[in-house]
Amino acid sequence: MLVSAKKEIIRVENLYKSFGKLQVLKGVTEQINQGEVVSIIGPSGGGKSTFLRCLNLLEEPTKGHIYFEGTDITDKKVNINLHRQKMGMVFQHFNVFPNMTVGENISMAPVLLGKKTKAQAQEMVGELLNRVGLYEKMKEYPNKLSGGQKQRLAIVRALAMEPEVMLFDEPTSALDPEMVGEVLQVIKELVHTGMTTVIVTHEMGFAKEVSDRVFFMDGGVIAEKGTPEEVFENPQNPRTKEFLGKVLY
Amino acid sequence: MSEFFVVTAKMWKEYSSLFISGLGMTLFMGLLTVAISTVSGSIMALMRRSEFGIGSFKPFRLVATVYVEIIRGTPILLQLYFFYFMLPQWLPFLELSEFTCVLVACCVNSTAYVCEIVRAGIQAVDKGQTEAARSLGLNATQTLLKVVLPQAVKNILPALCNEFIAVIKETSLASTFFIGELMTQFKTINGFTYRVLEPLTIVGLIYFVLTFGLSKLITLLERKLNAGEC
Repeated sequence: MLVSAKKEIIRVENLYKSFGKLQVLKGVTEQINQGEVVSIIGPSGGGKSTFLRCLNLLEEPTKGHIYFEGTDITDKKVNINLHRQKMGMVFQHFNVFPNMTVGENISMAPVLLGKKTKAQAQEMVGELLNRVGLYEKMKEYPNKLSGGQKQRLAIVRALAMEPEVMLFDEPTSALDPEMVGEVLQVIKELVHTGMTTVIVTHEMGFAKEVSDRVFFMDGGVIAEKGTPEEVFENPQNPRTKEFLGKVLY
Repeated sequence: MSEFFVVTAKMWKEYSSLFISGLGMTLFMGLLTVAISTVSGSIMALMRRSEFGIGSFKPFRLVATVYVEIIRGTPILLQLYFFYFMLPQWLPFLELSEFTCVLVACCVNSTAYVCEIVRAGIQAVDKGQTEAARSLGLNATQTLLKVVLPQAVKNILPALCNEFIAVIKETSLASTFFIGELMTQFKTINGFTYRVLEPLTIVGLIYFVLTFGLSKLITLLERKLNAGEC
């Protein structure tokens, strides 16, 4: 299908981000369509995570615009909290809430923000935990969970808000190797439901398998982009070639 | 040496009511000071973290920072003198008692320290917690109340108990104005008997039992908090 035939959900225009004197993003323009799965790969310090974190304004862009479902969310008058509800995010270090049980981690936001009644939320908690195989842990505190289980919890916590887009920031980088698979499996299943997904990852095999498009970010810009076949098997940019040469032995 | 014990025992018998009322006053002042300062110090801490303002000019933050730096940068005895003499002069219509003036001084002092305790407790909560809460769509206040503060309490409570111990010891300075706490009672008994070592020993022991007991309680509390969630 032609990309232009799909409905755009995120559009980024000329995005710049600096931390003090350090320029991390140097003019990124891109658009992501509904149902699309985009992987962002590239070397450390290339701006991948910063780009992702700008999409829900966890990082405030220095310059440029981000449109989410047609609204310019970089506009100061826009209530960003309402838009964030539609953009789930999963972090490298899980960031589950240690002061709440597994169930409360999931139900807190939807109930507090009035999306669900307590009873509805409880029902949803059961469904979501079943989906990621954590039903028995509902009343436990996260300190009783392994890293992989915490990350699966973090994923369904984000899904509880019924987002339009899911953002993953290196979701498996902090995991023990034997736990990477279970988390990738959950993401894969999510992708198959048609969820629009942007994922920053170092798992090249995974990126190749699930993505519709792959961005290679380096030096604060998208240095190369295309289908997984184009980027992984026939990279045009010498920096992409060099990077892939290092990570795909 | 045996004379010391005999005199000390006799003194305890004779003046026990003074010691006990002194202990009561010390505890009363300490508790009141910490209770009030916990509220005012928390508000002050929120002011120090406030983002309200134009550009780099943040009025709440400025006021709170200046307050904390001045109070922590001057001796508590000076602050006691200041409030003891200036409050009745500036607000004569309130007819403040000596005790109230001293209490105000203690609270003003303790507020600055509690502010820093609360601020440090909040700051020690991982930034990722805030980011996760905000990414779910919670606003700053909801994030603070639901996610950050419940976790910060664990850092704050033990430190607050330590502040209570510090305040108990600091109230001894209020004896400068004969407020009736433990150290005042030492001065009184010293005046009656011209003895120093014996009443000082008794008062010292009472202070020590109080603070040592409290610090043991804190250790227990910390263990409890760490054994819980997280």
